[in-house]
Amino acid sequence: MDFKDYYAVLGVSESASPEEIKKVYRKLARKYHPDVSKEENAGDKFKDVGEAYEVLKDPEKRAEYDELKKYGARKDGSFQRPPGWKSASGFGGGGYTEADAGQFSDFFEEIFGGGRRGGAGFGAGFGSQRHTMRMRGEDVNARLALPLEEAFQGCERQVSFNVQEADAQGRAVPRQKTLKVKIPAGMKEGQHIRLKGQGAPGVGGAESGDLFIEVEYAPHPNFTVDGSDILITVPITPWEAALGASITVPTVGSKVTLKVPKGTSSGRKLRLKGKGLPGKKPGDQLVVLQIVMPEQHSEDSEALYRELAEAEKAFNPRSKLLV
Amino acid sequence: MTDKNRTLSVELMEPSATFTLREVCERGDCHAEFVIKLVNYGVIAPMDETPEARQWQFDLQTLARLRKAQRLQRDLKMNLPGLAMSLELLDEVRDMQRQIDRLNNQLRGLLGEE
Repeated sequence: MDFKDYYAVLGVSESASPEEIKKVYRKLARKYHPDVSKEENAGDKFKDVGEAYEVLKDPEKRAEYDELKKYGARKDGSFQRPPGWKSASGFGGGGYTEADAGQFSDFFEEIFGGGRRGGAGFGAGFGSQRHTMRMRGEDVNARLALPLEEAFQGCERQVSFNVQEADAQGRAVPRQKTLKVKIPAGMKEGQHIRLKGQGAPGVGGAESGDLFIEVEYAPHPNFTVDGSDILITVPITPWEAALGASITVPTVGSKVTLKVPKGTSSGRKLRLKGKGLPGKKPGDQLVVLQIVMPEQHSEDSEALYRELAEAEKAFNPRSKLLV
Repeated sequence: MTDKNRTLSVELMEPSATFTLREVCERGDCHAEFVIKLVNYGVIAPMDETPEARQWQFDLQTLARLRKAQRLQRDLKMNLPGLAMSLELLDEVRDMQRQIDRLNNQLRGLLGEE
């Protein structure tokens, strides 16, 4: 087992005062709270910080930990509990903690353990203590990033999440569950779906909790989503812009023919009614046209452009810039 | 555990499921007073804000928001005004982040970058 350096987790020195530890903990808890932080592994960091604080805030536990750090930590970073070690401040003997010890590390359990208690999993692991004999299983929340096409058409996906289950000794242990889930067509970002009874099992014959899945869109190389509308930038040639044209434009999962009006400028927005996300009020697809040039022109083409320049001499696109 | 990677085929789902105040409290393991306070502070809102709390119905998004409020309150020891403001700011940050992603994507398209 690896030795956990709680001082390093909080980034404080071993001589830090209780006030300093509290201050640093509060700051880090705000920073890494999984509901606030966008950082990857914020949930794990939040848990580590909480565990470190749980030990270092309590003078008794801190003294025990300091003692262990002196004798129990080996040079290679591993840890072995000294023989005969028994925590005086542990949870086993009815010690009270506000935190959910069930979420803490094996290392913590080894030192102060004996009282691993139940808690719920919010993916990254939130929990609350419960001691009643009969109670409904905890709801579990999970997130699912869907490619736009699949959200549009509906799909079947595997979802993995953690639930807390009681083992034979009644201790809460995390278990990974994987379900195949049918996602209905037209899911919007931020929408939730519920799978009844797929959350944590109930205790004492009570019903299981539910699984809630929040849908997100995975970034798409061509489309962006704005509410129910879908945006795409479509390149056209200068002559298509000048003369008008019928072009093929992709929609999510299909394609349509779009009429580019004669004399179109770059940045012009065209609306394809009802081609956005499906729903009670289907969205539109907005096409932004962008004029692009070939990388190279032939001599013939350049001659034609020169002719064009001569014919359109009167046009000054920079008249608004007063030049 | 033997069925670590058990795969179940699940029929769906209720995107439009609603919950009464009582159900919300049971699921969230919280008191009705707490939920009512959150409604009064405008942190969450029932679908129809009738004066009679017993008739309130909450949708799934609201339930998720309530859980978030509970976690923030428990983990960061926030009071209600702080909670209300934090959740609003978090919403704003999320919306702005989405807007930035959208604009970046459009900009990439306009600049012809892959």
